[in-house]
Amino acid sequence: MTGIAESLLTQYYHVVFVLLLGIGVYTMIDAKNLVKKIIGLNVFQVSVFLFLVSSGYLEGAEPAIVKDGGGPYVNPLPHVLILTAIVVGVSLTALALALVVRVYQEYGTLDEEHLQEVMSDD
Amino acid sequence: MTEVESLRPLAAVVVSAVAIFGILAAHRRPNIREAVTLVAAGAKFAIVASMLPGVLDGTVYVTRLGEVVAGVPFVLRADALGLLFALLASFLWIPTSLYSIGYMRGLDEGNQTRYFAAFAGSLSATMGIAFASNLVVLFVFYELLTVATYPLVAHDEDEEARAAGRKYLTYTFGGGVAVLAGTVLVFWVTGTVSFAAGGIEGLTTETSTNVARLAFLLLAGGFSVKAAVMPLHSWLPDAMVAPTPVSGLLHAVAVVKSGAFGVARVVLDVFGPEAVAEIGTGLPLAVLAVFTFIAASIIALRKDNLKRRLAYSTIAQLSYIVMGLALLTPTALVGGLLHIPAHAFMKLTLFFCAGAIHVETHTDDISKMAGIGKRMPLTMSAFGVASLGMAGIPLLAGFVSKWYLLVGSFDAGHAVFAFALLLSGVLNIAYFWPIVYQAFFETREESDEKPLVDAELGGHWGKVPDHYTPRVPVADGGDADGEDEHSDHGADGYWADAGWRGGETSPFVLVPILGVCACAVALGIAPATVYFLRVVRLIVENVTGVVV
Amino acid sequence: MTDALLGVVIAVPVLASVVPLIASFWRDKIGWYVALIALSVNAFIVASIVRGFLNEGRLSHEVGGVSVPYGIELALDGLSVPILVLVALVSLGTLVYTRNAGPRSNSFYSGYLLLTAGLIGVTVTGDVFNLYVFIEITGLTAYALIASGDDGRSAYAALKYLIAGTVGASLYLIGIAYAFVATGTLNMADLSARLAEVGHSDTLVLTSFAFVVAGLGVKVALFPLHTWQPDAYSSAPYGVAAYVSALVSTVSAYALGRLVLTVYTPEFLVSNPVVSSALVYFGALSIVAGSVLAVLQTDVRRLLAYSSVSQFGLVVVAFGIANPTSVFGGVVTLFGHAVVKGSLFFAAGIFAYRLGVTRLDEYEGLARKMPYTGAAFAVLALTLVGVPPAVGFVGKWYVALGAVRAGETSVAVVIFASTLLTLMYVARLVDRMYYGAAGTGTSETAVADGGTGGVCVTYGMVALVVLAAIAVVVLGPVASAVQETLALGEVLGT
Repeated sequence: MTGIAESLLTQYYHVVFVLLLGIGVYTMIDAKNLVKKIIGLNVFQVSVFLFLVSSGYLEGAEPAIVKDGGGPYVNPLPHVLILTAIVVGVSLTALALALVVRVYQEYGTLDEEHLQEVMSDD
Repeated sequence: MTEVESLRPLAAVVVSAVAIFGILAAHRRPNIREAVTLVAAGAKFAIVASMLPGVLDGTVYVTRLGEVVAGVPFVLRADALGLLFALLASFLWIPTSLYSIGYMRGLDEGNQTRYFAAFAGSLSATMGIAFASNLVVLFVFYELLTVATYPLVAHDEDEEARAAGRKYLTYTFGGGVAVLAGTVLVFWVTGTVSFAAGGIEGLTTETSTNVARLAFLLLAGGFSVKAAVMPLHSWLPDAMVAPTPVSGLLHAVAVVKSGAFGVARVVLDVFGPEAVAEIGTGLPLAVLAVFTFIAASIIALRKDNLKRRLAYSTIAQLSYIVMGLALLTPTALVGGLLHIPAHAFMKLTLFFCAGAIHVETHTDDISKMAGIGKRMPLTMSAFGVASLGMAGIPLLAGFVSKWYLLVGSFDAGHAVFAFALLLSGVLNIAYFWPIVYQAFFETREESDEKPLVDAELGGHWGKVPDHYTPRVPVADGGDADGEDEHSDHGADGYWADAGWRGGETSPFVLVPILGVCACAVALGIAPATVYFLRVVRLIVENVTGVVV
Repeated sequence: MTDALLGVVIAVPVLASVVPLIASFWRDKIGWYVALIALSVNAFIVASIVRGFLNEGRLSHEVGGVSVPYGIELALDGLSVPILVLVALVSLGTLVYTRNAGPRSNSFYSGYLLLTAGLIGVTVTGDVFNLYVFIEITGLTAYALIASGDDGRSAYAALKYLIAGTVGASLYLIGIAYAFVATGTLNMADLSARLAEVGHSDTLVLTSFAFVVAGLGVKVALFPLHTWQPDAYSSAPYGVAAYVSALVSTVSAYALGRLVLTVYTPEFLVSNPVVSSALVYFGALSIVAGSVLAVLQTDVRRLLAYSSVSQFGLVVVAFGIANPTSVFGGVVTLFGHAVVKGSLFFAAGIFAYRLGVTRLDEYEGLARKMPYTGAAFAVLALTLVGVPPAVGFVGKWYVALGAVRAGETSVAVVIFASTLLTLMYVARLVDRMYYGAAGTGTSETAVADGGTGGVCVTYGMVALVVLAAIAVVVLGPVASAVQETLALGEVLGT
């Protein structure tokens, strides 16, 4: 038990990652409003970014700009990966919001349940 | 056995596939379309027959065409067993085509182009089954046969036909799945699926007995679906909604025979009689076959619809073949294999007669056929002859195969099978004789009661009626469903007399009936002269080394 | 030299996708021609790449000259070659179809080219993060293309697909993040060696595997992660539905195979029998559930979507068993299914455009009104069932043989039973098409207003479907001939 408590306290990034993941997924499932679902999606993706970025962290290390005599450097690769992933996330959010605008224009509602009703009436 | 590379096996398969295009192209000119069918049938029989002398001498004709899947060559091989089936199927296509012409035109059926094209396709697939050199090629053509015959079964397109078609698809594809599973097992155990007379090496030795038994069960079981062994038989009576020549094709020419042929290949060329005896699956299969033919014969007694009665008769007779194969002694094998052509000729005659009766008088039920011998004397005579053959009366085809089966059962040491055969013969007479008797010796008014057909199961409780009224249609000359133009009833309910000169029906219908019946007689009188017995003896010699 | 083409084959469609957007200042409807030129050029490049593969074996290219494992590697081996060929062919075929059927706007074809680029990228990449990027590119463009239908329903379906697909891709990202944490590398070949060093039973490795499979499982639409698929396929325009159904899930299944087989390798599956069984049973569950759900459908496109769930279950089973025979069967099934499913959607589109029929009960007697398309449809559907000698049978044979060889009898039983399960819904379709009572009235009204969306069905579209039907029958025997060249044993490391 102490082993788990210890690792949870020291690796709190991991804990936060899991929490955000859960919040994101829960929001996506539970929210009725489409925009809220997209927010949930973003939270979910942010949790993944957090995980990857924090995995590259080294205590006492310097930012990854090479200089003479520099000490240990933080691994820059996760940062690079996350930059790409953030861009992907932004494009996804943009597309999702564009789709939401279209749905709103067609059906006049963004509530999931109302949408089901309106669409089945079509 | 010498192998000769030849295109003839491939040609036999392809000639009717090519004919499909001709038939489709000629869809507006029925005479040309029918001519294409007849020419293709003649050509196919000629090609197959041309290979007969060579095969009897020990040559095997082979066409190699690459691979189906890795390790499995696509080879068409005309050996003795394949030639037996191919000869039978291609020969019978000719009278069936003639008969189809008469039947379809007599009833003015629709979709005739589709019908003839699907028929040609079915015969192509049948040739492929016959000449398959390994289980996978056999499976390929087996499934293609299902696909080709489905439009024929569902031909009428009404609800009953479509339901029958779906049932047919389900049963036959289900059987196909079992065959595929068995094939994969065999391939996994031995690394080959090619047929070898006497069995594939190592099938029972390189694996546990249970695996070998499972493979046998899957293969024989899968083929038994098409061979209508109980309890997998129920698609066959339902498929009787199809036009009669299709029923003839299903029962005599191609479909159930391909199932029986598959079982023959499994017993003779995949496992081999010794291996089957080793794993002990022969006896259970034989017992199942006996159960089938006794049960089917009893059920047939109660059927009023003629075609259904014939369907159950087929189920019973097919199990003679399966029993012969399962008993494993050389004589029994000869009997089982010889019954393939014997039953084919006799059953086809019976179906043709049933169809002729339907075309000319629109009668399907036996209880309404009293006195029909007056209306259709030649037809009913042929029916009588063929039914005698089914029961195993000497001088007819059924007797020869039955004789070998009886001797074979004694050889195998199980006399009970012989007695079951004799019992089945009696039952055969019991369900065919009333039809023939009432056709010639009774009239509509004076027909006897048929308690087997009409009575309730379990008998009457309470008062038995004093006077039994047979089923008689309204005696004012027309049936309640108004088929006046076609039912040739006189005002007093008698059939119109047609005399013995052949005026009773179209020659397209009559000639095939009499022709096939004559073949059944010929096979009974001189089975070796008409080659079938020779081929069968050769097959058994190749497999067991024993000359019967 | 040929390996540099691996980069070119991705770059061409990407560059070409910009052209229609720019050109839309001057001219509308130029997109189709740009796409045609770009994808034809691509097809030639793919042909050279294949020739290079046949000569040299596995091809590999380091992007930008940065050496592996620091740089990104593009690689091609026996597992990816068929998929690359498939993408090249289907992208051209769909182009022929959408000439008349699909939206003709420039932006549509930009999206189409980007989607093709993404698909090719997934196929040729040798880096797990690069795979993530290309999967997301594929996904983004697929969502946009699906939303290009006329009504709001397609936008909503695309949104649902977007949410599900992003969750899937993010789960995959978490998976490779765990793998990265465990080993420090992202290159597939390097990763596979390092994972073996870390130990295949290590918790990190197991976790990463679980996330990767779950994430890609969403993209492949395995049961029960498939819920986005029926809506997406039934709301998209027919050309798009065909393309997406033929390629997007196929390429995702390929990605799953690539990761499970070459990164985690069959040794991983052997060291973790629970995981391997779980993967195989997961696939088997999809086979059964997909077919059962397909039988319950009344809309043809939804039926085809559930049918895909079933077929991909078979592919996952094949990859889960992980011996060369079953993997070859899986690849053949992937290829065959892609061609069949795409063409079935084409045919469904032809029926909808000409006669306005979309529901199963409207398909009564259809084959009489449109005999060639109907016959092609029947042949394609029967190929799904596994009627020999077409490609469906060949794939099933190898997978079943592989299962029996691996001793997985219950799975083999499911594979054989899948023939009957598929027959359940195919038989209903074919029976209705040929024997139904024709002309229930809907056809008349549809013809009066020119069918759905006023699209005129051309001979080219019908010819495409008929050609596809012939191709799948011919592909069966041809597929076995290719087995040697793919050298899947090498790919698997066995």
